[in-house]
Amino acid sequence: MAVKGIKDKVAIIGVGASKFGELWDDNQFSLLIKSTDDAMADAGVKRDDIEAIWVGIQYYFTGLSGGTVADALKLWGKPITRIENYCASGMDAFRNACNAVASGVNDVVLACGVEKLLDEGSKGLPGFREFGFPVLPMPSAPAMFSFAATRSFKEYGWTREDLARVAVKNHDNGSHHPKAHFRKQVSLDAVLKAPMIADPLGRFDCCAMSDGSAALILTRPELAPSYAHGDDYVIVKANALSVYTNMPWYSPNFDFTSFPSTTTAAKLAYKEAGITNPRKEIDCAEVHDCFTITELLNCQDLQFCERGQAAEELKNGTFNWDGETAINPSGGLKSFGHPIGATGCRMLYEVSKQVQGRADGRQTPDAKIGLAHNLGGAYTVCSVTILSQNK
Amino acid sequence: MIGIKSYGAYLPRYLLSRKLIAEAWGFPVIPGNKTVANFDEDSVTMAVEAGMDCLWGFDKSTIDGLYFATTTQPYLEKNSASLIATVLDLKKDIISMDFTDSINAGAAALARAFDTIKSNEDIKNIIVIASDKREPEPSTMSEYVMSDGAAAFLIGEGTNEDVLVSIENYFSVSDNVTGPWRRTASDSFVRNFEPKHEAKYGYINNITAAMKGIMDKNNLKPEDLGIVVYYYNNPGLLGRVSKMLKFSQAQIQDSLFFTLGDTGTPFCFMLLITALKRVKPEQKILFAGYGDGAIAFYMKIENDRGIRNIKKTRMGMIKSEKSMIELKNYSKFIDNRKYLVKDRYIRKSSPVTIWRDSASIYPMHGIRCNSCGVVQYPIWPICCECGGRDLTEIPLKLKGKIFTFALDHLVGGGYYSIPTPRCVIDLDGGGRVLCNMTECENPEEEVKIDMEVELTFRKVHEGAKFMNYYWKCRPVRGRP
Repeated sequence: MAVKGIKDKVAIIGVGASKFGELWDDNQFSLLIKSTDDAMADAGVKRDDIEAIWVGIQYYFTGLSGGTVADALKLWGKPITRIENYCASGMDAFRNACNAVASGVNDVVLACGVEKLLDEGSKGLPGFREFGFPVLPMPSAPAMFSFAATRSFKEYGWTREDLARVAVKNHDNGSHHPKAHFRKQVSLDAVLKAPMIADPLGRFDCCAMSDGSAALILTRPELAPSYAHGDDYVIVKANALSVYTNMPWYSPNFDFTSFPSTTTAAKLAYKEAGITNPRKEIDCAEVHDCFTITELLNCQDLQFCERGQAAEELKNGTFNWDGETAINPSGGLKSFGHPIGATGCRMLYEVSKQVQGRADGRQTPDAKIGLAHNLGGAYTVCSVTILSQNK
Repeated sequence: MIGIKSYGAYLPRYLLSRKLIAEAWGFPVIPGNKTVANFDEDSVTMAVEAGMDCLWGFDKSTIDGLYFATTTQPYLEKNSASLIATVLDLKKDIISMDFTDSINAGAAALARAFDTIKSNEDIKNIIVIASDKREPEPSTMSEYVMSDGAAAFLIGEGTNEDVLVSIENYFSVSDNVTGPWRRTASDSFVRNFEPKHEAKYGYINNITAAMKGIMDKNNLKPEDLGIVVYYYNNPGLLGRVSKMLKFSQAQIQDSLFFTLGDTGTPFCFMLLITALKRVKPEQKILFAGYGDGAIAFYMKIENDRGIRNIKKTRMGMIKSEKSMIELKNYSKFIDNRKYLVKDRYIRKSSPVTIWRDSASIYPMHGIRCNSCGVVQYPIWPICCECGGRDLTEIPLKLKGKIFTFALDHLVGGGYYSIPTPRCVIDLDGGGRVLCNMTECENPEEEVKIDMEVELTFRKVHEGAKFMNYYWKCRPVRGRP
């Protein structure tokens, strides 16, 4: 009987990404072509080598079904599946691709994600679906996380300035990344003085609306050395997905200062990877920072620091690109924006390059083990992946 | 005996000073204010508030009917009484009926409630709610006059303990005078033709005929009456009628017109409720409504202690008025009324899902888990805390405290400079809900964790081209 889990059963042999940003000249098809061409070139595989594809897409207007990828690449007859799981859609596409390789069903597969948000002309994310409750209030995405900020201010004594430091750090990191949407540093003052989006979250507390796509090529470790990077491939140590409610505001005991989906996914992933001290053992992490408050609370739920300490640790430099645990050395969602379906794959692209020592932006010194983390919906879905260099 | 067992009133949060109307159009100034319903209110939502006020402390299973009176129906086809009864959590085996098309509909519904109870042994109590949100044409004199609100009476049979004010009998006249009117399909605003003609041959002739009729019927002389209450929409006419019928100033009611305007169908109810502020045992009352004729009632004070007790436990007119604030400018009023055509986001909806979830949406029912005891909302088949399936449906309390909140500037893909407070609320007695806040003037300063709020029934959107109602929260106005 097979051993459970995917630890050491899947190798990443190539990664690719489009530029992220307000890409008026691109559509979802051209974005997919850019990211998958980039990944296939990186791996040294031809498109006919790819046996199956999973694509993360959140919105129907980006595209329904696997046909979105087939139409983009004019790749006919392959098994292609669209995955939708809120902001974790991309990383869940990766999870499904991993399972296909780990189970021995496929040798070479593609995981990718794409979102074309800007064409909708919406201020903020276009409305989430109504969950079958057409009159119950639907807060905007910033408001959902504002609930957590309001509660954290009360419970942890944090202030808007504590949140602003997340934006300052991530924009500083992103200023070094050639594919980031925003490549400018921001001052604490500018963050604090920006207009409110969902009070207490201001404009710089929120990630932007962006377009983009990212892709990864996966295979079994024993096949990996025959591709472009030879022995220097990336090995998947763990992947965990955890789902809670779409409507946490109806759970009478929900405290809004911790995300149970992150806590659970982190525990599962650490157990699978055999990590006992995440703060020491994880060198760098792409942590979901859709909003500044999200990064702080996730750092706690991912056990990079004690509950209530994230703001202080950030202030002390623990999470800087050269700190004890580098958080979002790429610049995160703050710098890349958040094309929902693409983000998870973009994070895995970043972490893969970090552990291979070839990061585009800020290379974390001596990164060996990295983590990617997506949190989606109303803290509904969390996906955690742990990657390691093949040593 | 049959008569009034309880009353309730609802005045919207806002007052518009007539001075602002005068300034907006360069008109001569008329003193006083008029009430203005909020953008998310209509005759149904205000009726719910007045109904809640009226029924506070009563066992709802004893209510056998609901009569709703309005000239401003949300629908041309589909009644409102059944919806109001559902939201008020009344039982299913009741009579529900709408009385419409004339501002006399309130008085007419009252007379019908009296008749219904008198002629049916198994119908003991009927709540009569009158509510209106009329649209006068901007820049006309009607704009000074017409205002919004709701009021309710619980009419029932009982002893002189239960019945606070007995209804002895009534006298009705019917007359066809065209004015005011509003055509069903093509008129946005209430029309007048020649106000002086309407006043003399419509109002004065009919109201005096009805009042004379009821006095003759009961051999009443003007001095026999302690309280005389009749509809009017012009303070000059109030005095003229009083003089014609030889009533003294002390007998006739306070001039609500100056402070609140003419609320239409519920106005005569409001005048009577206001008159009940000061009552003496066994006082005789003459009460009349007007519209396409008139109806006058002969009533008597039966339980003055009971009336004082009701006054203490209700929002009524007094507490409602105390918690009102003035709109800062005329543009606020224009915006509330949606007189300017703007692109507004409309959610999707389905009458089917609303029907299926009716118990959660309208009377705000939740569930209590019989395994772990946790009260939760909305109604679902499995406990969110322990996974138990042994659940009991329960009504939730309509007040609570804010657990957390966001002041959301993003609504349906648009950015608005005035944020909508989204409030996660722990209801008194259990259950956690999410409600948008309405009628909070300074959310940045006022909305806080642990802030006390009341739930208020509002129109939220018109998805699928029908009226989608749900609960919002508001800063406390003092509803019991």
